[in-house]
Amino acid sequence: MSPLSKVIMLSDERERIEDVLDTLIEKSGSLCAILITKDGHTISARGTTSFLNITALATLVAGSFAATRQVAALIGEKEFSILFQQGASRHVHISLVAGTAMLIAVFEDSQRIGLVRLHAKRAADGLAALMSVSRERTDREELIVAQFKEFASSLIDRIFSE
Amino acid sequence: MSTINFATREINFKIVYYGPGMSGKTTNLVYMYSRLTDDRKGQLITLDTEQERTLFFDFFPLELGEIQGFKTRFHLYTVPGQVYYEASRRIVLSGADGVVFVADSQASRRPDNVESLRGMLENMASYGLQPGPVPVVLQYNKRDMDGILTVEDLDADLRADSWPRFASVATQGAGVLDTVRTVMKEVLSRFE
Repeated sequence: MSPLSKVIMLSDERERIEDVLDTLIEKSGSLCAILITKDGHTISARGTTSFLNITALATLVAGSFAATRQVAALIGEKEFSILFQQGASRHVHISLVAGTAMLIAVFEDSQRIGLVRLHAKRAADGLAALMSVSRERTDREELIVAQFKEFASSLIDRIFSE
Repeated sequence: MSTINFATREINFKIVYYGPGMSGKTTNLVYMYSRLTDDRKGQLITLDTEQERTLFFDFFPLELGEIQGFKTRFHLYTVPGQVYYEASRRIVLSGADGVVFVADSQASRRPDNVESLRGMLENMASYGLQPGPVPVVLQYNKRDMDGILTVEDLDADLRADSWPRFASVATQGAGVLDTVRTVMKEVLSRFE
C-alpha cells in the first residue's frame, strides 16, 4: 500500500497557527509570514502576500533549505536552523520548525533583523508546540476519496484533450 | 507524499521526472507547459546553468481544479541529469508521489540509462519510496534519432515488465501528454 497522504493542517488548527504568524508580523514588522512543509507545500500564509507567488516561493525555499542541509552534513552539522537571504531592500528570514516545516518571514530594509530573528524564534517555538500534537483525522469524512479519485481522473482526461 | 490541507482546502501531489543528462526531462515539462491553458498552470521555474543544463530542478504546478471543494494541484519537477549533480537529484526526489523515468533511446546512451535508473532506485530507497507503492512510468525518448535501441532492448535494460512505458519524441510533443496523464492517474489510484 502507498503511504497515507499527510494532513498538514486541520480546520481547527487554522486559527492558532494564523495567530502565531500574525503575532510575528506585528511584532517584527515583517511584510508577511509563511509556513511551509519541508517538501515545499504551503501550510499557511499571512500578511501582505499579493506581490508574491507563494507556490513558487515555497518550492524554492524548500529546495534551498534541503541543499543547505547537505552543506551542513558536509561540515559535520546535522542542519542549519536558520537561513537569511539579504537583498537590497527586502530580505527573507527562514527558520526550521520542529524539523518538518519552515517559517518564512519577508521583511523590508527599514525593519531590524535582530527583531525579526527574535520573534521568528518565538514563533517557531510556538508552531513547533502546535505541530507536535498528533493529528486525529477528524476532518477525514469531509473528503470522499473514491469520488475524489473519479472526478480527478476525468479532469485529467479533460485537461489533456483541451 | 501527497498533502491535504483541510484548513485552506488544498490537496497537493508531487511528480518527479528523472533520467540521464540530456534525455529530455526539461523538454517534457516545457512542452506540457506550452499545451496547458493559463488557468491550469502556475509559473515555470527553471534553475539551470549558463549552458542551459538543469542545475537543481525545473518546476511548475499543474492546477487540476476544485474537487469536492479542494483545490487540487500536481507539482511537476525535473532533476538535473548530469552525473555530478547526484546530491541535487536525491533532494528533488524527496516526497515524490510518482516518478517518470525519461530514457534516451540512442544506443550510445545505454550505460547512462542503466546507471541513472540504478541511482534513481537507490535514491528512492533512501526515502523509503518503493516502486509499486510509488508508481514509476518509463518514457523512451528521442525515437526520431538515428542509432537508437529497439524497444525490446530498452525494456530489458530498464525492467519494463512491471511499469507502464511510452515511446516519445518530446521535442515534437509525441508521447509527452500520454506519459504525464498515465503517471497522474497512477498516483491518484493510490491516493488514500
